[in-house]
Amino acid sequence: MSRRVVFRWGGKHPEGAVAFQAGSVSLERDGRTVRADYSRDGGWITLRVGDDVHRVAVARDARGLWVSWRGRTFLVVPEGRDGGPRGAADAPDEIRAPMTGRVVSITAAGGAAVREGDLLLTIEAMKMEFKLTAPEDGSVLEVACAEGDRVELGQLLVRLKPAADPEAEA
Amino acid sequence: MEAVSARAFRKVLVANRAEIAVRVCRTLRDMEIPSVAVYSEADRGALHVRAADEAVCLGPPAPSDSYLNIAAVLDAARATGADAIHPGYGFLSQSAPFARACADAGVTFIGPSADSMEILGDKASSRRAAQRCGVPTIPGVEGVADVDAALTEADRLGYPVLLKAVGGGGGRGMRRAANAEELRAAFEGARREAKASFDDDRLFLEKLVHPARHVEIQILGDGRDAIALGERECSLQRRYQKIIEESPCAVLDAKTRAAMEQAAVALSREARYAGAGTVEFLLGPDGAYYFLEVNTRLQVEHPVTEMRTGLDLVRAQIEIAAGGPLPTKPTPRGHAIEARLNAEDPYHGFLPQTGRILNLRWPGGDGVRVDAGVASGHAVHAHYDSLLAKVIVHGADREEARLGLIAALESLVLLGLTTNQSLLLDLLHDDAFAGAQTFTHTLESREWPGPSSLPDEAFLAAAVALHAPPAGAAGREDADRFSPWLRLGPWNRASAADDGVAR
Repeated sequence: MSRRVVFRWGGKHPEGAVAFQAGSVSLERDGRTVRADYSRDGGWITLRVGDDVHRVAVARDARGLWVSWRGRTFLVVPEGRDGGPRGAADAPDEIRAPMTGRVVSITAAGGAAVREGDLLLTIEAMKMEFKLTAPEDGSVLEVACAEGDRVELGQLLVRLKPAADPEAEA
Repeated sequence: MEAVSARAFRKVLVANRAEIAVRVCRTLRDMEIPSVAVYSEADRGALHVRAADEAVCLGPPAPSDSYLNIAAVLDAARATGADAIHPGYGFLSQSAPFARACADAGVTFIGPSADSMEILGDKASSRRAAQRCGVPTIPGVEGVADVDAALTEADRLGYPVLLKAVGGGGGRGMRRAANAEELRAAFEGARREAKASFDDDRLFLEKLVHPARHVEIQILGDGRDAIALGERECSLQRRYQKIIEESPCAVLDAKTRAAMEQAAVALSREARYAGAGTVEFLLGPDGAYYFLEVNTRLQVEHPVTEMRTGLDLVRAQIEIAAGGPLPTKPTPRGHAIEARLNAEDPYHGFLPQTGRILNLRWPGGDGVRVDAGVASGHAVHAHYDSLLAKVIVHGADREEARLGLIAALESLVLLGLTTNQSLLLDLLHDDAFAGAQTFTHTLESREWPGPSSLPDEAFLAAAVALHAPPAGAAGREDADRFSPWLRLGPWNRASAADDGVAR
């Protein structure tokens, strides 16, 4: 018996059908099937796919599940029916000040549609200018700062509503 | 030299934090010199505090209240009986007033004299010194007063041009302009950043060498003479901050290398330089080199030179400060490449990242060195710069070093915050780097999109972590009724074995 698993990762919604059976797992995803024997040891998961052995490190915190495979780290958030406590796909993105600094300019306007990578605002911090961009497509719900404001580390600057993703609702 | 090193100083205070403070403490331990760490309130329990024999809190997190607070640092030296201070890089390492304050307090500053720093540390005065020594400099003018003056001078020099802060370093306050319109747009931003960073809004305007490589010569001086220890190429930069450095430079011929080393030694003698320093050059597409600036301190990328020469540059600094002789000029061997692991999101504007490190494993093995400033369980905060660790690999040749560094980074695990690890791999795998065709603009002029999809292996591991039936209950379908977030135990803690710092 398989279950549908959807993650939120990097503004995308990868999904697949996963089935477990006696120490092995199969994944049906985008028309292909991958089978692996697995074992778990603390924060490490060993996958055997054919002759290849993969050691994958995993750790969970409030932001999601961190997965490190071959030097690349992926932060995934479970979504959909079996999602986690914050699993809703349309939870707003909060853009917060990465450090204490000053807002130099604001490009985002309340209600405006933005694409992933669009400039929202620029802050000057650690004596450098940093451009804060939209993490995914969506619209600006709120601009919570003004040009010239001094902002503290972690302070809310902009709230974004992610664009509805039809695949995630399927 | 052993006699000098054994009892060079009674005790040395390390006026820095993170990986460089840890690394300096390691050499002090090797030399059997007791060490003192200093830290801000944000760095309680930091790795560098544990690396030293004793530690003193300097004050609140803001650098001006802690690591830049000259009075607090000297008080800490007095309180602990330290008779010398190693400044690391950044913070007070290039502060002539600090070097003078150390001398006044009867504490040895491990580095050049305040006078040498003033000659070589200021861009305008180091440029004049280079010209006195016959070292080629980039055509340009010093102290353009306003936009109009800049536009007039730029017409004379020819575009593209570069604006930079007279008092600057690390690329802050630098702007390039391809035409008059861009120069007009860039001028005020450059001045604002120069003023904010260095409290000095004077700007340089110079001709832009393009495409350029950043090639620098490591020197050691004893106040009279100096030796050069070969070059490092550091062309891969973002916002003028280096992220991959190597030695040797793949395209530098022996004749040009000798000329650059000679120029660096001449400058060092001119300034009566003592200690470790770096003379930076731009290497143009025609093989011509131009003096850029001098860093009057140990540099972040110094391990690249150490791996090739077998010298411990921190030890050399300490011995020179204690009145010891210059080491014999070594013959560099093989190839070394360093990658800087930063707490930043490389695919979203290099935005600094924070978080708690949940799981950490450094690579190891022959020819692999890791200089780290963090450990598992540590919180990475945004008060200071984003460097977490450096991974340096030595190989018989460039390809062996490149593949070794790729393997090292592929086995490195750091969970709990986003780092630039993935971009480092992109760069090392890239044809431009493999073919030694990278320039100072390469990183920023190209798109680095990062992984386009979640790999199946990562998907499978995430599915196992969140949804696999508990051990012993395999096949019990009803386990699925419960939220995996509630069922999973606290398995995110790293084991003690993962907590070590590779040496």
